[in-house]
Amino acid sequence: MKGLIISGEFGKIIARQKSEQSLEIGELLIGKAENNNVLLQVTDLMYGSQISQQNLELISGMRLEEDSSIDFYDENIRNYKLAVLKSLLSIKEKKAQLCKELPKFLSEIREIRKEDLKFITEPKNPLKIGKLRSGSKLLDVDIALPGEKVFSHHILIPATTGRGKSNLTANMLWNCIDKSYCGILVLDPHDEYYGRNKPGLKEHMKKENVIYYTANQPPPGAKTLKINLQSIKPHHFNGVTNFSSPQKQAMSMYYKRYGKKWIESLIMDKSLDENTKFFQDGTMAVVKRKLLSLLDLDWNGRQLFYNGIFCLDKGEAIISDICTELENSNTVIVDTSSFAGEIEILIGSLISTEILRKYKHYKLTGNLTQKPVINIILEEAPRVLGKEVLEKGSNIFATIAREGRKFKVGLTAITQLPSLIPRQILANMNTKIILGLEMSPERQAIIDSASQDLSADSRAIASLDTGEAIITSNFSRFATPIKIPLFEELVKQKKKQEPTKNSFSGISLS
Amino acid sequence: MKFAHLADCHIGSWRDPLLADLNIKAFERAIDISIQENLDFVIIAGDLFNTSLPSLDYLKKATKKLKQLKDSSIPCYLIPGSHDFSPSGKTMLDVLEHAGLCINVAKGEEVEGKLKLNFTIDKKTGVKITGLLGKKGGLEKNYYAALLREPLEQEPGYKIFLFHSLLTELKPKELEKSDSQPMSLLPKNFDYYAGGHPHFIFSEKIENYGIISYPGPIFPNSFKELEDLQHGGFYIIEGNNAEWVPIKLYDVVNIRIDVGHKTVEQVESLLKKKIEENDFNNKVVAIRMKGILESGKPSDINFREFYNKLKEKGAYVILKNSSALTSREFEDIKIEVSNTNKLENSLIEEQISKGDLQDIDAFEFTKYLIKVLDTSKQEGERAYDFEKRIKEEIDRMVN
Repeated sequence: MKGLIISGEFGKIIARQKSEQSLEIGELLIGKAENNNVLLQVTDLMYGSQISQQNLELISGMRLEEDSSIDFYDENIRNYKLAVLKSLLSIKEKKAQLCKELPKFLSEIREIRKEDLKFITEPKNPLKIGKLRSGSKLLDVDIALPGEKVFSHHILIPATTGRGKSNLTANMLWNCIDKSYCGILVLDPHDEYYGRNKPGLKEHMKKENVIYYTANQPPPGAKTLKINLQSIKPHHFNGVTNFSSPQKQAMSMYYKRYGKKWIESLIMDKSLDENTKFFQDGTMAVVKRKLLSLLDLDWNGRQLFYNGIFCLDKGEAIISDICTELENSNTVIVDTSSFAGEIEILIGSLISTEILRKYKHYKLTGNLTQKPVINIILEEAPRVLGKEVLEKGSNIFATIAREGRKFKVGLTAITQLPSLIPRQILANMNTKIILGLEMSPERQAIIDSASQDLSADSRAIASLDTGEAIITSNFSRFATPIKIPLFEELVKQKKKQEPTKNSFSGISLS
Repeated sequence: MKFAHLADCHIGSWRDPLLADLNIKAFERAIDISIQENLDFVIIAGDLFNTSLPSLDYLKKATKKLKQLKDSSIPCYLIPGSHDFSPSGKTMLDVLEHAGLCINVAKGEEVEGKLKLNFTIDKKTGVKITGLLGKKGGLEKNYYAALLREPLEQEPGYKIFLFHSLLTELKPKELEKSDSQPMSLLPKNFDYYAGGHPHFIFSEKIENYGIISYPGPIFPNSFKELEDLQHGGFYIIEGNNAEWVPIKLYDVVNIRIDVGHKTVEQVESLLKKKIEENDFNNKVVAIRMKGILESGKPSDINFREFYNKLKEKGAYVILKNSSALTSREFEDIKIEVSNTNKLENSLIEEQISKGDLQDIDAFEFTKYLIKVLDTSKQEGERAYDFEKRIKEEIDRMVN
């Protein structure tokens, strides 16, 4: 027994803690109602005493100033701790439903046990996130979400630096690599997921499902990131960099006139038709300068030079390749560590636009059900989903956030500052995996848009340790506290299989 | 040092005997040029033949040419490609190698489950050559994954690597659905990478690698290639310069007709005009027709007549491609069914509803006809008896 329920109201039940027991914020407890158990969670802790405040102050003064040792008569009965509890679910054998009643007055509360959680069953296409946590104690209960639904309905991972965002993402990716229900695009600005020089996704037994694109010395098996300029259309720059309306119009006009060759034509000062030539030289010069700088190109008046990943003679099929790989349920990691943020977003925009276009087409032809869900993992999400950015015009990521789920395309937005993302987009992110967030406005933004009532959990969120998280989702029964395993440990646990004997038929072996 | 880089000869690929003849002639021309130019050696980056066991006619011609090359003291180094590779090792390349006419450089040893490739050293120039074969469906990537790169990359001297794979980074838009391997699978620091497999022409020095080249086929291998490439070729490499040498045996004339909104008569008139206007003497003619005919069926177009006219004008070979040519009389039938039997029944019903077989029990008739025609020849049954049996069955059914 951990304590007794002594007072309170619905959503704020007060329990007295038994003297030798300890209760923690976030701890899960079981209370008794009429015909069922009630799953309770500690949301706050405080002291209680039978002795008046004045006397307590007197006693403490005597101990501090006179060094007299005064013992309380029946100390454990007179002084105690109180816990504020929130009821989460009514549990009856294997069934659980939202709690609409109070546990019995003066009834006992006890620690949660594995057998109380029989109602937690593995969903279809499970996406394992971690193990159930009660306070800081770990229970041997795997928490999995229905992967296909969760990925298409968007995920938000908010956390302060160092709380385990990358570890959680790496865990999720690891668990998805061998699953056929999803294809995941990772725009990796820190080159941390593939594991070029450390344990990473390349260690997975199904490593052939991990496709790694990098512009920087690709290791054997990785693909060189080279994108053909002809793949870029004017609307891909939405949300990437600030082009004024006349500049955007000039770009569109060049696209209409020169089609896929619009960028080179614009840079090479090829003329527009007389009827459409109504842009000032200054406007054209700025567009040209911005494009040259953004795409890392040089123009010497006669020839165009390609310094970065954008070129004219290679990478014609790269966007199409990535989309096909995603459609084949692969995890595609694009290393954007060596690029400016704008380039990273442009690459993401190119791929995301194409994949959404394809999936819209599949829906039209009735083939969407046969396709895996596609999820795009986006670090520092406010760069494209932030209020300021969206005020200047929408972009493909905001479009996906709003309507992607209808076409099985979802986002996983990772951020330290969820408050920068507009409320309607936050509300569309139906699963939030909240790691430690100290800043009150950031917590509030999450609490205000959570799928479950987290109004009493602000303190619990602030006190989340590294690797601890709360999942709030349309697809979970309650705001579930979890502990996420260390990714390095997961890699170590990789089943050591007998090395498969390679066959080199056709090669003359000496 | 000067050497030739050929790939995708596909000897024996065309069914049409005239085109098959042109194909082998292109190979002979490439070897003749190599001898005339007094090259140090010739490398073939896969798919010398179209199959691992080619027909004797073409084999004889190819062998004769390789013998001439050998007699001119020009060694030929090659790798099997996806077409002439056989997992059993029973390939004609093996026979040719044993006869001393070529050297398969895909040689190595297995070191703790990894593949260590050995170099074949050209005696005259000291050039070190090695390579990896090509397999269907890009399965050679497993060989690359198990490749010990360090010894290859650290080997000093002028090195050539033969490979038979499409490299992802160089993939053109029209091959976007084809299997490809990332460039990073190739070992670095070679001077020349002799590629084969994709039928396009490419040569460029790539940072950390060397010159990577695809010479394309020595003769176009399909209707589309005839249209696009017109003719094949190969590279002659001297120092850092790779020069593409075309092999032009005949000119190719493309006739492309979009039949959209045209009647059969209009199409015929257009075709006739094109034939009258152009010179076809000693030329390969590729006629492509596409679109939906306004009226009539594709079979109503009298191709035989135009074929004869082209022949009269001296055309060497005439090819026709009408795969994208349809008629309004054919419509797509969209039926959702769970098994082939149901699909068959639905298709029969669909067709019966459009046709004029209403008087008879068309459904049963069709089903029975399919059943009769589906019969296979019995063991020991002569072809004559088999045909007779089928005819009798159909007679019985019709009567």
